Amino acid sequence: MKLSAILPVARVLRRELAVTALLLLGVSMVVFAVLYLAPGDPLNVLLEGQSPRAQTAAREAMGVPHTWYARYGAWLSKVLQGNFGNSVRTGLPVLPELARVGVNTLVLTLGSLFLTLLIAVPIAVHAAVNGDTPGNTAATVAAYVLSAVPVFWFGYIVVYVFIHQFGMFPLLSGTAAKQPHAWLYFLVPIFVLGTASGTLSELIRHLREELSRVLSEDYIRTARAKGAPVWRHAFKEGFLIPVTEIMSAKIPFLLGGAVIVEQVFNWPGMGRMAWQAAQDRDFPVIMGVALVAAAFVRTGNLLQRVIFTMVNPRASKQ
Amino acid sequence: MSTRRFVQTQGPIGEFSALPLLQRAEARDLLCAGYGLLIVALVLASYLMGALGWLPHDPREMNVGLINAAPLTPGHLLGTDFLGRDLQARLILGIQAYFLPGLLAIAIAVVGGSVLGVLAGYRGGWVAAIITYFDNLLDSFPRLVLILLVIAAFKADIYAIMIVVGITGMPETANLIAGKIAFLKQKNFIEAAHALGLPAHTVILKHILWLNCRAVLVIQATLGMAEAILVETSLSYLGFGVQEPTPSWGNMVQAGANYFLQGNFWPSTAPALLILATILGFQLLGDGLNNMLEGKRRRS
Repeated sequence: MKLSAILPVARVLRRELAVTALLLLGVSMVVFAVLYLAPGDPLNVLLEGQSPRAQTAAREAMGVPHTWYARYGAWLSKVLQGNFGNSVRTGLPVLPELARVGVNTLVLTLGSLFLTLLIAVPIAVHAAVNGDTPGNTAATVAAYVLSAVPVFWFGYIVVYVFIHQFGMFPLLSGTAAKQPHAWLYFLVPIFVLGTASGTLSELIRHLREELSRVLSEDYIRTARAKGAPVWRHAFKEGFLIPVTEIMSAKIPFLLGGAVIVEQVFNWPGMGRMAWQAAQDRDFPVIMGVALVAAAFVRTGNLLQRVIFTMVNPRASKQ
Repeated sequence: MSTRRFVQTQGPIGEFSALPLLQRAEARDLLCAGYGLLIVALVLASYLMGALGWLPHDPREMNVGLINAAPLTPGHLLGTDFLGRDLQARLILGIQAYFLPGLLAIAIAVVGGSVLGVLAGYRGGWVAAIITYFDNLLDSFPRLVLILLVIAAFKADIYAIMIVVGITGMPETANLIAGKIAFLKQKNFIEAAHALGLPAHTVILKHILWLNCRAVLVIQATLGMAEAILVETSLSYLGFGVQEPTPSWGNMVQAGANYFLQGNFWPSTAPALLILATILGFQLLGDGLNNMLEGKRRRS
């Protein structure tokens, strides 16, 4: 790679890393603010019935700061050291637990993103190149309908088919993991999230619009006239950019969809953890999940920006 | 930072067509919008039926002798659920769970989004930078995770949840409005209005929002309702929000799940199909209106 190709990427990377850090700081403030404003904390229950002075004294004795900024600072410095606190329900430290289930959620979302690409790209490219044909119109309509299907109900259909057609129960928990072909179970939730999460129709629409716009540009016509390969000229702007744009924009939706899919399939991921934590009002856990999920989203966005700059170095000078 | 900030949108200005809207529009868009309008009318009518208590059957009356009855059972047009309650009445009543909360969410998203969009587009500069930051901040959270956070903190009810949905919907509207204003500023009428000495609020409210942005706002409201229904049904499926015995389409799907896996599909499928048809209706209405009014689809 020539230096001139790396420089703009380095410049953007520096800027985007700063923006990401600033945004993650904002994320931590939002998360902290929501739970700071929440009525009641574990100490309230412990100290119930005591006089306000006794309560303040007890808090002081336990080292709980008075002011919100002192509390935020103390909490943030702990989080930055990797101490997310202990789960109220299980008493275990949150971070190792989060790392364990976070990997599962990552597998689920990235797998479903990959599947969405596999389905959406051929449909969108065919439609952009050939215009409306009965085949790709039917495929687009089907994708639209599938994207509006409630993901939980679609999950039941798939589970039912598995029980009655293949005689197995596609849940990962318990004894199922020891059965032969257990790895197949992994694919079922990925399939459900990848097809019914709403990403499919948006990817098709966006890629199709952008690709057909690029294909009708003058430089593509010139390439065609010269007999140069059209694809090589259209690939970056017409394919790579729209696909990475939608993929990074859809990560939050997929993580949200994962909450439901994990519930349906008993998939041991962050979504189930968040669900359980919301049931139990388990503040450290739900804080951890929100922070890690936001970190996922920001990382995806950062990658998209880097790819965008590599394709279009001019963007770094904005 | 995402790349779709302040993209110029093509607007009706500069490409007026002499033909009336209905003749100009493509058949596909008319079909989508027509289906969407039908769904909106049905939802509205059913909401009123539920609100006024004009139900075909008492939704709470259980009939142990008639559990999970199929559709077209005498007395129960759409069958019964696992407690023998009339499904049709419960489906109609399920609209109560999201209708008013959904309106609250889209009101917040549209009003708040307009304010932010006007500030960003009209003022620009550091106001726009702050709004972009706020937008990216809200985009960083998976919506459902943010909602679960709020539920954990406040034991939030559905209205509080819909306030969160509305706030997270604001940036999208704000971006569209800001982009629209950036586009309108190239036209001279805003400058002309200022030169005429019209006060800023007249220019913003009348010339920008009412005359040039109302289509965008209606479209955003429509798409926002689809979003609100999705969130409400997902949450009540997960066991938050509306609780049994109050019906919501989400908790009805959940309640029918065990019977679904035994092969009794209907009690779970009926609400699921309604969720599908309704969300699709609002989305297609939004998309169809977008193509017709905003001319998003290029014909080249």
